[in-house]
Amino acid sequence: MVTTERPESRPLGDRVYDAIFHNYVWRSVFRSGYPNTPRNQMLAVATNVFLHLHPTRIHRTHVKITHTFCLGGLSFFLFLGLTITGVLLMFYYVPSVERAYEDMQRIQTDVRFGMLMRNLHRWMAHGMVLAVLMHMMRVFYTGAYKPPREFNWVVGVVLLVLTLLLSFTGYLLPWDELSLWAITVGTNMVGSAPILGEPNRFVLIGGFDVGASALIRFYTLHVVGLPLLAAVFMTVHFWRIRRDGGLARPL
Amino acid sequence: MVISTQAAAQSPAVRARSRRSREEELLVWPDLVFVEFISAVLFTLSFTLLSVLIDAPLQDRANPAHTPDPSKAPWYFLNLQELLLHMHPALAGVIVPTVALAALAAIPYFDRSLEHQGEWLATPRAWTMTAIGAVVGTVGTILLILWDGQKHVVLWARLTGHDVAEWPAKLNWLRNARSIQNNIAWPESWRHIPLGSKVLRTDLLGLPKVDLDVNLPAVLVEQVIPVSFMVGLPLLLSLVLWRLGIAKTRRDHMIVQFSGFIAVFLTLTISGTFFRGSGMELFWFWDVKPAVS
Repeated sequence: MVTTERPESRPLGDRVYDAIFHNYVWRSVFRSGYPNTPRNQMLAVATNVFLHLHPTRIHRTHVKITHTFCLGGLSFFLFLGLTITGVLLMFYYVPSVERAYEDMQRIQTDVRFGMLMRNLHRWMAHGMVLAVLMHMMRVFYTGAYKPPREFNWVVGVVLLVLTLLLSFTGYLLPWDELSLWAITVGTNMVGSAPILGEPNRFVLIGGFDVGASALIRFYTLHVVGLPLLAAVFMTVHFWRIRRDGGLARPL
Repeated sequence: MVISTQAAAQSPAVRARSRRSREEELLVWPDLVFVEFISAVLFTLSFTLLSVLIDAPLQDRANPAHTPDPSKAPWYFLNLQELLLHMHPALAGVIVPTVALAALAAIPYFDRSLEHQGEWLATPRAWTMTAIGAVVGTVGTILLILWDGQKHVVLWARLTGHDVAEWPAKLNWLRNARSIQNNIAWPESWRHIPLGSKVLRTDLLGLPKVDLDVNLPAVLVEQVIPVSFMVGLPLLLSLVLWRLGIAKTRRDHMIVQFSGFIAVFLTLTISGTFFRGSGMELFWFWDVKPAVS
């Protein structure tokens, strides 16, 4: 008696799954399989340009929230959030003395979700200054600046300065009383430096008073110059964390 | 978990290796990526909620002819603006922040010990050092601000039932820093010491000539006294802690100095933000009124 085995018909779910995830096009985008095995999980991280900021494995203490409070990651997350909301605000904002303030009012009243975008941008900016300061304190109190991470601490100090400058240049853009006088007070401090103060202040605000040239200079620095510079330093910062073997841990 | 044969190993090298063993490690996908995703969602939600509830301020259109009183910088520069009230603007606005940032960046080059990294306040005495730095920094800054605001005169008047104006004329130079310049009979010649344009050769850099006419009492009050406080007091603190045997290692001194710096930074920021009202005078924060233009 010979029994022939009938090929089992596969459930519909499996066939749909195969059709979606096991075809030529999908494979051309995601080269590793679904990350449900350790091998594929490591490949998912290592073969993805965004995820490969991470190593594939990490020490278990570093996943504990209280070890870092996510502060460095939070700073980066806020930078990304500020970039997105900032680009949306740029669609409606013209940095000229005639239009800036009216554009701000339009963003708040006429633009759909404009107020929300502006609020998000403002609160995330304050949040980023706080997050960067607290990240610095976390790194100090966990002794994470020690060799071989000395220079990455220096890069971090540069990023702190860039964060403050980004926030400061953004402060002028609404062109209301708060902006004008905050920037006047702030740039007067620069002007008080011995010998080079006045020339530096002149270059920074493009004149003797905070006016039209200061607005366009601060705008350009705020939306292009400083973010690019910050991105370069962040690249170095993250790269060096990886090269130095991830977060510091006890010997 | 560390397996038992490794835990039993005696040599430090083996112990170090066992800690780094694969057993102690997790896969980034899913364990870290998941945490990152959840925190990104949480922070997006909470910032959205905050933005729905509280609107960013937009005041009247900028008007260069109107100066609001007080006019303040953004909050993270109010520490510098607070300093500005007590010393020469060049010192407060440029030199102090530059030196502070340079000193901050230099921390890892002074403290190079490898022990106890990657753990919160793990060196022995770390908590003590943090507490000492924080307390001395906060109290010292508050006392200095109160002294320069002549609040000890007010206190004396309250305690003795006198009027503030009755402060003994002999002690007028103790009113605040500026009174050292104004209320001491300095020789008149000290107020104008002509050094000419030969000392600072700014013309070599293509800049306008600087005719130096030194006002010695002013230099004393605006530069020498603040610098000696800002450099001397932290050094004195470290010296005392070292002589008393409380601070023993470089890391101890670093923690004291860093904690002190953070405390001073926060105290100055809080003072500049909440306790400075009209004319940047000191007020209780419930008496500080919004700026009038």
